[in-house]
Parts: sequence; structure tokens; C-alpha cells
Amino acid sequence: MHWLSKKRYKIGLLVPTLLVYSVYIVLPIVIAIYYSFTKYSGIGKPRFTGLKNYVRLFQDELFWSSFKNTMVMFILAFVLLLTLSFLIALLLNHKLKAVDFSKAMIFSPAIIAPIIVGIIWVYILDPNIGVINNVLDAIGADSLKQTWIGGEKLSPYSIAIIYFWQQLGYLVTIFIAGLKMIPGDVLEAVKIDGANAWQEIRYVTIPMMRTTISTVAVLIITGVFKIFEIVQQTTGGGPNHLSETLVTYSYAQTFSSSDYGYGMSLATVTFVISLIITAIYTTATRERKE
Amino acid sequence: MKAKKLKRIFGSMLVSVLSLSLLAGCGGSGEEAKKDESGAIIIKFGIHVANPKDQEPVTYKIVEAFNKANEGKYKVEFEAADTETHSKNMKLKAEDGTLPQIFWIEGSEATEYGEAGVLMDLTEFLDENADVKKALGGMEKAFKYDNGQYGLPYQCNVQGIFYNKELFDKAGVKYPTDDTTYEEFINMVKKLKESGVTPLAIGSKNSAYAMWEFNEFLARYGWEDNIENILSGKDNFNNKELAACFEKFQGMKDAKAFPENMATIEYFEAKQLFDEGSAAMFGTGQWDCAEFDENIGDKIGFWWGPKFTDTKAEQNVAMKVPSAPIGVSATVADNEDLKKGVYEFLKFYYGEEAAKLSYEGSIFPATSYEGVSAAESQYAMNEMLKSLESGWASPAAAPDLTVPSAVQEVLYDGIFGVLQGTYEPSEALDKMDAAVANSQ
Repeated sequence: MHWLSKKRYKIGLLVPTLLVYSVYIVLPIVIAIYYSFTKYSGIGKPRFTGLKNYVRLFQDELFWSSFKNTMVMFILAFVLLLTLSFLIALLLNHKLKAVDFSKAMIFSPAIIAPIIVGIIWVYILDPNIGVINNVLDAIGADSLKQTWIGGEKLSPYSIAIIYFWQQLGYLVTIFIAGLKMIPGDVLEAVKIDGANAWQEIRYVTIPMMRTTISTVAVLIITGVFKIFEIVQQTTGGGPNHLSETLVTYSYAQTFSSSDYGYGMSLATVTFVISLIITAIYTTATRERKE
Repeated sequence: MKAKKLKRIFGSMLVSVLSLSLLAGCGGSGEEAKKDESGAIIIKFGIHVANPKDQEPVTYKIVEAFNKANEGKYKVEFEAADTETHSKNMKLKAEDGTLPQIFWIEGSEATEYGEAGVLMDLTEFLDENADVKKALGGMEKAFKYDNGQYGLPYQCNVQGIFYNKELFDKAGVKYPTDDTTYEEFINMVKKLKESGVTPLAIGSKNSAYAMWEFNEFLARYGWEDNIENILSGKDNFNNKELAACFEKFQGMKDAKAFPENMATIEYFEAKQLFDEGSAAMFGTGQWDCAEFDENIGDKIGFWWGPKFTDTKAEQNVAMKVPSAPIGVSATVADNEDLKKGVYEFLKFYYGEEAAKLSYEGSIFPATSYEGVSAAESQYAMNEMLKSLESGWASPAAAPDLTVPSAVQEVLYDGIFGVLQGTYEPSEALDKMDAAVANSQ
């Protein structure tokens, strides 16, 4: 096996992967960025327009409303998912009654296709036919009825909750796997040293789970910037694009309005924003390590 | 040595790949006529529904009849996908020159396809088939551009408002007539609402295109006369006429004409409300006739929509317009056999037998042939035919199909924005003007 460790063979072995990665990941990104500087309807030849799409983007109210919605979903999902999935994982890591059943129940939404998740939640949140408003009606709490989806205010919050519901089990599973990796003798030593449960979590579990926490955080960040089907299924981005996320708005501009150039400028900005947030997070956690 | 050998291997691989791509590049210009096992030339028909047999039964039957009549000679095969996927696919295929020979085109994209040079000019076909041209009766003009005839209407669309007579009777409301005004319409809406039904079913979720009843509103505020000036920048959407028109949409919203959850229901769910008798009116076209015959039967009525008194534009306007077109790939012209087959199919598609099949399936064909009409049990279609008896002229194209897709999308947003109260009329019109500016 010695000969394989030579630099040129390492490069040779990497070539196929790099080629596939370049063709299917890097090249489409480069092409998308190129289109973002053009006027292109998807048919014929794109016309170079410089920064026009970006100027339009920053003046576009709907871009800002999509950005705001994405940020609302991001903050809500990040805070709720990171903390609750960790806490639930801690709970399920103990030998409790019906723990396996609970794990299965919590994980089950993660195996449902997002488009079906959207349909399920329409029947829960729809202001007319939804379970919530009908229950509120039945118990005489009419004043609490809200336009959970399809209105001008609550849609992004509702979508964040749906995303939370869908992702929770998946992230809990990752955390449980991380918890299982902590050596039992370390935890035992902590207990012998007289640490209470909080101290054990604060000074042993969290530091030893740092890599898992980082992985989960990056998964949440990238996941939020990919929320698509839930929006399409619950509100279709409406009314009037007011519940769009950056991704769905980019999709609407690209494919419904056939404005490929502008759609790609939205996609590029979304890509840059998610890169920035991921970079901020990884830098912040790296500093803490030092 | 090893490094040299590796270099040689990489070098020869690179040369082979480049040679192959060169050969592929040279070979892509002509259209090969594919044949089935019986020797019949295969003609691909790209259609905008995933299951033509169930979703476009008339077209399916026409294709079946053509294939039967041309067994061993020509065979039309569908390339089917839902509308959105179909539109995306056609664009991709236009880019790499693999368009199906015949394909359905999103109305607002027809000009773009024509300008991109991927469509065949059908002037020759129409010149060679005078009977087809006569039967089309000018419907083809909607897709005639300066440089040629780049499409023919897939069908003929008759659009307006269907109503449920039973629900009108229960609410004690008189049926609308050709002379019903907007003010009378609003009173009608209020009374229907009081009776406990949704006056006009409509859904906006992923269904912005489902605004057919409002094409009549736009037409009755002089859309056809002004649109060219607006698109060329000589006039604005935010003008006196269209502002008045959009105020009428706002008036309907204020009268609570629509379902409360219109933002979370789609066109199909809105239609369901009408089918099951929860809504008194529904705006659509002839493609829903068969469904209404089944669900509402002889209780169905059809109406063009209200007339307006605050405009000088013509009010006696019907909405019998060409639907989105079908186009023929430019590559078809490169192969005489294929071209002949495509012409044969178009001749059949726009012929009398296909027109009969269309009426049987409650679809208005793009052509008119004497004596070909609907059967007595086709209640919804007969109601439409009754409305057409007035002989009112129709615009050359439905208003929403006269603008580029980016503007069309903002028009839909504008209408639904006002209907849902998220936009003021002038705000919606300003956005449409901005879309025109952006599309330049």
C-alpha cells in the first residue's frame, strides 16, 4: 500500500471525485452566477446586463420580505431545534420507560416527504378548514383564531414550526449518536467527583459534543435556506409573495416569471448569505475552542 | 516511467473525449425521423399535462384517431409532464435542440420561442391547407408575428363565469344577463353571501393563472386598445381606465365575494366548492364543462361578467379567444418525411373529425365547421353557446396572454393582491409598470 501514499497517486485518486464535484457542483454555481448578470428568459441567448439585476434586487420589496421571512425562520428554527433537540436527546439517552417508542415517534416526521408534511399542516393551520381554528371555535375561544397561514404576518412563524416538527427527530438522532460517543468512564469519574446533573452537562457533555453540535448547527443553517416544499404546499408563497423565502422567491422569479437572470441573482445572494452565516458560526465556535 | 505511462493514458483519454464531443457536435444539426417496429414515423407531441388520457382526453382521442387512420405510416406519441415541468423541459430542450416535433407552448412565452428561432414557420402549412385556414377563421392571427406564423391555437377558449341556478333561486337572486351591471353584480354578491354560500369561488395558492373571469373585466376597460402603447412605453398600466377596473376588484373584495381562505386554496379546491354547491359562481373556461355537467347538470348557467358604466370602452365583448398555441420545432423542416407527417397531423388536428371529437368532449376546437356542435346533454357547453349567440366580438387574444411572462406574473399578482387586500389598485398597477420597465 506504500506506493498509494505518493502525492501524484493521491492526486490521481482524487481526480474522478474532483471531476464529478466540479461538473455537478462548481460548474452549475458558476453558470448561475454568470446568468445573474444577464437578462435571460430561458429561451434564446442571454443578454449581458451587468449589475442591473442586483440593483433591482436591492430595490425589490419582495426580496426584502423574503429575506425577512427566511431570517425569522432561521432564528426560530435555529434556537428551537438546537436547544430542544439537544435536550430531548439527553432525555432519550437515559433508560426510561418506552424510550424506544418515543424515539420512533419523534423520528417519524423526518421520514415523511416534505410535500406531505405541507399537506398535513394545511389541515392543521388553514384558517377555514384547519384543526386549530375549528377547535378554538368549538371551545368558544373565537378571539384566539388566527390566520396561521395565508395571511400577511404569521406564515413565516408557522412554516418555522412545521420545519421544526419535521427536523426535530433527525437532529435528536444525531445528538443521541454523539452522546453515545462520550466514554462511560469519563461520566462515571464526573459523578464520583460529585458533579450534579447540570455540571455534568455544562462541563463534560457539551464540550465533548462540540463537533456534533457544530454539525447540527450547520445542518440547520443549510436546511433553513433550502425550505421549499413546505412553503409551496402551505401558502404557495402567498398571498402575493408575502410568505416567500429566498429560495421560493428565486424559484418563482426563475420559473413562473421566466426571469432567469433575476432569479439567478436571487439564488446567488441566497448562496452568499448562507455562506456568511455558516462562516460566522464556524469562526465563532473555533474561537471558543482556542 | 510510471509518470510517462500515466501521462500517455490521460492524453489518449482526453483526445478520445474531445473527438467524441466534436463528432457529437457535428451530428446534432439534422432531425432524424425515428420509426416504430411497424415502420411508422414517430412524431413526438410535448403536452402540458402528466396524464393526457385523463387530463386532456379530447387531445388524447384526437391523437388516437390520427394514429388509427395512419397505422404503419405515422404515430404520434405524447411527451407528457405537468404544466410547470413541461415549460421547464421545453426551454431546456430548445437550448440543446431536442424539442419534440410538436409541443404546447405557454401563451406568454410564444413570442420568445418565435424570436429564438426554434420554431418552424407554419405559413406554408396554412397556404397549402386553405380549408384549415378557413376553419380557423382568424384564430391563428394571435400567433402570427412579423417574421412568420409560429404557432396555431391548441384549442379555442371560451371564458367567463359559470353560476349555479339552484343557489341563485334559494337566495332569491335573479340570474345575471348580458346587461347586468357591476353595481347589480355587487348587490347579487351581497345577497348570495347573506344566503350562506360563497358568492364567487376562487383560489390563489399556486393558481395565479386562474383569473379567467377577470379577462372580461380587463377587456371591457379597453385593454386591447391600450396594451401596445403600454408595452412600448407610450402609456402606463396605471391609467384612468385600468385604475377604474382594479377598483372594481377591490369592490368585490369589500363585498366579500370570495372564500375567506382563498390564499390557501388552489384553483382545483375552489372548483370543488362550486361543484359541491358551496359556491354560487366560478370563473373558468370550457375545459371544466364536462365536470359541471356531472356535478351540477342542468342547473348550470353561464355569463360573460358585469358591464361597466364608468368607461367608454366597448361593453359588448365576448371572450372566445385562442388558447395557448402549439408550435412545431424548427428542426422538423430539415427532414421532408417528418415534415410531411407533422403537416398530416396538423391537418387532422384542425380537421372536421377532430372538431367533432372536441365537441363530444365539451371542448371548443380552434376551428369552426358547419353542423358540428354540442349534444343536448352537454348543459354547460350549451349555456356557453347560448351566450355566444349574441354575436359579440372577442379580442384577438385573452388579455393575460398579450404580455410577456414576467409582466403576466405581475398582472396575476396585482389582481390577486387587490382581491386579497394586500395591494391597493394603484399599487398593483405601479408594480405592473415596473415589470414592463424591467422586461425591457
